Amino acid sequence: MRQPSRAFVSVRRFIAFGVAIVVIFSTLTARLYDLEIVRGDYYHQLSEQNRIVRLPVPAERGGIVDRNGYVLARNIPGFAISVIPVDLSRTREDELSQRLAALLDLPSDAIGDVIRAQRIRNPYEPVRISKTPVPREIALVVTERAELFPGVRVDPESIRFYVDGTLYAPVIGYTGPITEQELAKLKDSGYLPDDDVGRTGIEDVYEQFLRGTYGWREIERDAAQREIKTLALQRATVGNTVSLTIDDRLQKLLDAELRKGVDEDKFTQAVGVAINPQNGEILAMVSIPGYDNNMFARGISTAELAALNADDRHPLVNKAIGDRYPAGSTFKMVTGLSALSAGTATRDTVVNVSASSFSVSGTTFYDWRAHGSLDFVHGFAHSSDIYFYTLAAGTPFAPNVHGVGPDAIAKYARMLGFGAPTGIDLPGEDGGIMPDPQWKIATFDEPWTIGNTYQEAIGQGFVAVTPLQLLNAYASVANGGTLWQPHLLKQVTDAAGKTLPIPQWTSQKLDMTQENLRLIREAARRVVTIGHAYMPNLKIPIAGKTGTAEFGASAGKDSAGRNKLGFHNWFVSFVPQADNTDPTAQIAMAIFTYDSSKSLCELCLNPAVGMTQRILEQYLGPNK
Amino acid sequence: MALPRPATPLHDRPAPRRWTQIDPILLIVTLLLIGYGLVMTYSTTAETRTFTGDPMQFVIRGAIWAAVGMAAMAAIALFDYAWLGAFAPLLYVFTLGLLSVVLAIGSSSLGAQRSVNIGGLSFQFSEVAKVLMIIVLAKFFADRRASIGSPLTMLVGLALLAPAVLLVYRQPDLGTSLVFIAIFFGIAFLAGARIWQLVALVAIAAASFPLVWALLKDYQRARLSAFLDPYSDPQGAGWNIIQSLIAVGSGGATGKGLTAGTQSPLGYLPIAESDFVFSGLAEDLGFAGAVILFALYIVLLVAALRVALRAKDPFGMLIGGGVATMLVFQILVNVGMAISLMPVTGIPLPFISHGGSSLVSVCFALGVLQSVSMRREPEGP
Repeated sequence: MRQPSRAFVSVRRFIAFGVAIVVIFSTLTARLYDLEIVRGDYYHQLSEQNRIVRLPVPAERGGIVDRNGYVLARNIPGFAISVIPVDLSRTREDELSQRLAALLDLPSDAIGDVIRAQRIRNPYEPVRISKTPVPREIALVVTERAELFPGVRVDPESIRFYVDGTLYAPVIGYTGPITEQELAKLKDSGYLPDDDVGRTGIEDVYEQFLRGTYGWREIERDAAQREIKTLALQRATVGNTVSLTIDDRLQKLLDAELRKGVDEDKFTQAVGVAINPQNGEILAMVSIPGYDNNMFARGISTAELAALNADDRHPLVNKAIGDRYPAGSTFKMVTGLSALSAGTATRDTVVNVSASSFSVSGTTFYDWRAHGSLDFVHGFAHSSDIYFYTLAAGTPFAPNVHGVGPDAIAKYARMLGFGAPTGIDLPGEDGGIMPDPQWKIATFDEPWTIGNTYQEAIGQGFVAVTPLQLLNAYASVANGGTLWQPHLLKQVTDAAGKTLPIPQWTSQKLDMTQENLRLIREAARRVVTIGHAYMPNLKIPIAGKTGTAEFGASAGKDSAGRNKLGFHNWFVSFVPQADNTDPTAQIAMAIFTYDSSKSLCELCLNPAVGMTQRILEQYLGPNK
Repeated sequence: MALPRPATPLHDRPAPRRWTQIDPILLIVTLLLIGYGLVMTYSTTAETRTFTGDPMQFVIRGAIWAAVGMAAMAAIALFDYAWLGAFAPLLYVFTLGLLSVVLAIGSSSLGAQRSVNIGGLSFQFSEVAKVLMIIVLAKFFADRRASIGSPLTMLVGLALLAPAVLLVYRQPDLGTSLVFIAIFFGIAFLAGARIWQLVALVAIAAASFPLVWALLKDYQRARLSAFLDPYSDPQGAGWNIIQSLIAVGSGGATGKGLTAGTQSPLGYLPIAESDFVFSGLAEDLGFAGAVILFALYIVLLVAALRVALRAKDPFGMLIGGGVATMLVFQILVNVGMAISLMPVTGIPLPFISHGGSSLVSVCFALGVLQSVSMRREPEGP
């Protein structure tokens, strides 16, 4: 065999070539080792994050019921309208925008903008067009004429429905879309940008109970974000049921009476609150005029909201707690208890009201009549202004009676809860004003005068109270000296029917003797039996106190030439279990009628008295 | 002693064909790689949701192309490679003709005009052009052993290369034009070209980089920027790189299992059956699968180099060197791209990327190698 010359082979170059191959594969292997072995877990996680997305499954909001389980707030099915841009051809975009605009009462430009923006962002993902839940009829139009609505999707969602909207709106409030600031705070608790939260009222205060536990769905998605399949599912748990202390029957009785008065223009606004003095449970709370919270649930229009805000009777304010008024003669209970507790008066303190007016340093103070000789019970029963002027600051009618003074009145008034919020479980509570000489110096930079004490004694002047404060003070007298934190929450029940722990309600003992409290209860009973609030044919032992609170606007002059001021009327009552002075009352109620002066004379019967009798007789009477 | 065969005008000394001198290792590893490629085509396409229709359509098409490739390999092996040398000038003209046809009547896909449709099948002529260019350049340098040191030889060699590179670049297919350049360097290097001349060429290329940068298309520039920092545009140019890294890394030591990968079936990995097939392989079969692939490649390259070393003439040796260069460069760029060591270019991974033109061309090249092997001088006693 001839051995050919192999001089053309450069072995060194082949070796170099081989080395290059070894270097290349070593580099690739080293890099792969780093990616797959060293950092494999990290990249595995990234691939799972790519592929798996966890979507929230919203939970139904819990219901709200009265103390007997009568439903006040629940959810009804509604629908959300969305568009999936990829299923909508560009040529039909305008046509669809216009059609949806007409159906949903939205501007068509805005709809077009939303669709176009989503087409750029992710055309496979539906974008919501309806801002608020859409009723079934509209959803049906879309699904039945699908050819007219290309790319449109209809999904069920729920609408909050308030059964007796206007009746309970001041108490229950409403829910609304979460704001960006709230979302920033609540994101960690699982809130989502599209969520509703309680905006005011019970819906707001008990948001944590009412909001359900959202579930989740783990889906696999492809690079275009299309859903491929569901990998895992955690169902949502419906929110808890919140039971209120409200008794719907009493609420409706109260509302019917007050609404009738407003409708007949006997007064422009009205408040009614009832409480169980034994534990602070609110049994009814009516504020008229109110608003229909269903307007908010379905999405209030700008015009509707503007109308509510333009009403100077402030329908959005729960006037039982959110505004303050002069207490009028109902405050005589405070003046009387102060004098009794401070020891400057007893049940036998007699004032001879021999005239209906007197003057102190140029100012004349009036009573509504010259009553003659009055002891405590009769002074209270006939609501003698001069009797309580005397207890507060002394008058010429009883030179040996020393006035208890404004500081003592302020002290006992604060003990009874005036001048500070009661702590009820509602937002927007006003604390009222309980003045004293320091307060006047601090507020007006003027010294306190005896006239201030006289005015304060009969609940005029600087004193301002919320209806709930006044009611709660009377409730503490009716129950024998315990000032409860009034509250609306009775019980919280989860979806399985289990009762959940709720806040402990606080209470304070009044630093007053049982004897004095009993005397007030006796006097209050006499107001109804012989006094200022006589109730004919009364079937239950109602006790109470009237009030007529004058306010700024003058309604002309009366025959005596005095300013006839506009006035509000009060009647605060409680009903012991038997016709005695024992602290057994299970119901106390305050009725407040704003600007009753429109069709009533000042000396006419206080309209709150008659309403109270009718309501309580129906509520507590034999044929209830 | 065998009877001498009649001389032909092309052979002063006829080379006898010896079946016993088929390189068995080269043949076996070729078959194993074809098989591996079919498995990967199945794994990356069976579950995919990007395509509709028969999930096996890609595997069936791949198997048909594998059969065509093996037939081509056998046919060319029977053929004395010296004939290829004799017709090298014709092959060169044919190569440029093919590349021109692509530009003239090629069909566009993904913004590039790279393939020609014939009878419903699409051919990427640049794939076969690579192999033809190996033959042309091998013949050119083999015939100029005496003047290999002359700069003029290098310049003429470059002049042969340039039209092909430019035609491919115009498609545009930057990756394949780079393969042509790599083949030139590999063959010149093994042919014994002066190292300083090769270094000078690289230096000139590096120095002219700003000019090249200016000539690059926008998408090519974006790919280069993304290579340097994928997270500068994670949803755009950096997307492929990031998703590829995730696919590779998430494979771990042994992978998620055949067809069990998630990055490619769900569309996170683009062109997962061809350009980014290695990412799918690393995801499905893990580090182990990649190392097995690398081992097969190394055996293939060593076998190719052995054929080159044992060739009976410089032409055969340089063909072997050219084929090895082409393979190693494509492997480096494709795998490097998948693991972010190289910028993104559309170069197929030999045997593994799904695509008939690539597979048939590689088989064709290995057929030529077997032809070289079969016609080497027998081993001494």
